[in-house]
Amino acid sequence: MKRDALSGRFPVSIITGFLGSGKTTLINRLLKRPDMNRVAVIVNEFGEQAIDNDLVEVSSEQMMLLNNGCLCCVLRGDLQETLRDLFVKRRNGDIIDFDRVVIETTGLADPAPVMQTLMTDDILAENYRMDCVVTLADAVNGVEQLDTMPEPVKQAALADRIVITKSDIAGEAATAALEARLRELNPQAPIKRAVNGEIELAFLIDVGLRNVKAKLEDIQKWMGEPDDDHGDDHGHDHGHAGRHAAGVSSFCLRFDQPMTWAAFSQTMEVLGALRGSDMLRVKGLVNVAEHAGPMVVQGVQHLFHPPVELAAWPTEDHNTRIVFITRNIPRATVENLFHAIGAVGKVA
Amino acid sequence: MKPTLSPQGQAAQTISRNMKLISHNELAGFGGVGEGINMQITKDGRRILWLAHESAPKNFTAVDVTDVKNPKVICQTDLPHERVRSNSLDVVGDIMVVAYQTKQVGDKPAGMDVFDISTPEKPKLISHFDASGPHSRGAHCVWFVDGEYVHLTSGSGDFEPTNEIDFQFYRIIDVRNPSKPVEVGRWHYPGTHKGDKEAPPPRHPKFEGGYRPHNVNVFPERPDRAYVAYLDGGAVILDISDKSNPKMITNWRNSPPFNGFCHTVMPLFSRDLLVVTEECTKDDGIDWPKLGWIVNASMETNLIPVSTLPMPPVENFIKRGGRFGAHNIHENLPGPASFRSDTLVVGTFFNGGVRVFDTSNEYQPQEVAYFVPGTPKLSPKGSVQINDVWVDEKGLVYAVDRFTGGLYIIEMTL
Repeated sequence: MKRDALSGRFPVSIITGFLGSGKTTLINRLLKRPDMNRVAVIVNEFGEQAIDNDLVEVSSEQMMLLNNGCLCCVLRGDLQETLRDLFVKRRNGDIIDFDRVVIETTGLADPAPVMQTLMTDDILAENYRMDCVVTLADAVNGVEQLDTMPEPVKQAALADRIVITKSDIAGEAATAALEARLRELNPQAPIKRAVNGEIELAFLIDVGLRNVKAKLEDIQKWMGEPDDDHGDDHGHDHGHAGRHAAGVSSFCLRFDQPMTWAAFSQTMEVLGALRGSDMLRVKGLVNVAEHAGPMVVQGVQHLFHPPVELAAWPTEDHNTRIVFITRNIPRATVENLFHAIGAVGKVA
Repeated sequence: MKPTLSPQGQAAQTISRNMKLISHNELAGFGGVGEGINMQITKDGRRILWLAHESAPKNFTAVDVTDVKNPKVICQTDLPHERVRSNSLDVVGDIMVVAYQTKQVGDKPAGMDVFDISTPEKPKLISHFDASGPHSRGAHCVWFVDGEYVHLTSGSGDFEPTNEIDFQFYRIIDVRNPSKPVEVGRWHYPGTHKGDKEAPPPRHPKFEGGYRPHNVNVFPERPDRAYVAYLDGGAVILDISDKSNPKMITNWRNSPPFNGFCHTVMPLFSRDLLVVTEECTKDDGIDWPKLGWIVNASMETNLIPVSTLPMPPVENFIKRGGRFGAHNIHENLPGPASFRSDTLVVGTFFNGGVRVFDTSNEYQPQEVAYFVPGTPKLSPKGSVQINDVWVDEKGLVYAVDRFTGGLYIIEMTL
């Protein structure tokens, strides 16, 4: 028996959000929840709305242990360093044995480098795994921010979960408009509204695949809400690439024939080399001729996580299915490349 | 108990990574378990965990773990007196062998019992193999996996050591007729038997543990090899193709300068590696480091250590009290209820709990899981002292405390 290629790593949720979207409020609320026991939260600073003293069990300059068992740490140096430091401190017994990490990113942060860090840093990749990107969007200013700034678009496009904040202030019409806009950008990510930062932990965690024995519901949770072109090869683009300046579109490619790993990876390499920065996010299951179980693939821009074979297909449906979230890359371009390289339809 | 920023040095606090406690059983108040654990699957499909106790008054305990969330003690037996301990047992089918070691030479019972455990609630003694004698304290460990031979570390009535603490050696006992066990071969470390032409081996200058075999591993993959941990004599590989005449092929000794007490030599056949563990025998880190070693065995005659199993800082764990360091590992026994892995190593480290290592890269083994229970009730050391471990074929971990904690059933979330 060998170690499971996915399990046993600390899951990491990344909380990102538009400027003024209430990230700090949400984090501060989250810190106090009873279900945060053994969660380490990395924050940018111990904010002004600091934690009530009577909630703090022990504290040092950089860390506070709250009486619900949640460890709150201030970002030190860069994130890579902070995550390594946390792991080493946990191993050395200097801090509680947390089993999950939540990261608050800075205001205009692009979550992609954070996600990539978890894949490329050997020590981090060995001990942590990307669980979920949560993006907060502010119902008062969200639509305008999406129309005028590139960062919020990317944050929304990369999200596994989206939380709309300030819906009580913005009113129903503005909130619905933002929600529609976000759905266009990223139809896979479930959206929830939070008032005053109130959100249950369950919405922010357990999205990524936890082990190779993943079942259908795990895969659906990870890949996102089912697309409506299920079962055929000719679905439409959700994002209507080109309509918005941002040009973000999302589509799911399905192939009913197995492909060779060489052809699949070559296709991805070509895409990565030519358009890596516009391949915002890729996740899917690939039916590889040489393998009995589906291969899990996931990438952020030009970087791909090492592929992992699941123990078995979750259902009778053995079609390859890959969700792409891209910027100015139409579905047809990607699909044609699969055909051109021969990934599709050329298995001996 | 409320958490603290730094729980490792706090014996009362349970700490874990990738392991979750499923259930805990204090074994009817006799929670001190030695280094004999094996699992029987009965003819009616029950899963029975057999545990040899660390010391008197109890001999062995059977726990029905068919429902792992609700383990039940179904049998617990007594030793005849306080001067003997059982410590080690093994099970093949419905036959169980149990070792007996006395505190003093010349005492009895010293040797091994063979039981019929087809009705686990009522073990029936089939035979006793007597190993008592004027220089013998009986048997410390059994290895029994093929239903035919017991590889026993034991003294004998006819064995007089050159140094009185070298009172045990390796004996091969044929139990094909379980009612009449007979010795078919033996081997002792050169120079440890009076009359040997070799000079007695040098004693360890700081922590003398003696020259006695501890665990012997013999696997169906290599029935011609015995992998023997010989305490201060280090790791020994014997050619046992002729059981009546075992021959030493190689001997890897790391002590001194290390601190001796080689405990287990387990081969990982597919990778030409050995896992060699030492036993920590002193409290409070006095004999630190006691480690698990990964040894390249691609040339049997030139064993080369390539790494050790990484351990958390000794400074933290010695604060917990009692011993901290390597001891038993799950030995990849063949059999229907035993976990077998050539990459994952599950070991016990006394107050370091049970720890799991991924050795896929033998040069850099990774610690991937651990479970350190908080101090058991009435613990004389003030900390848990996880002594031995069994991993079943499903990957469930059964770890035992040396003194009072009993049995912890743990799930690996790897």
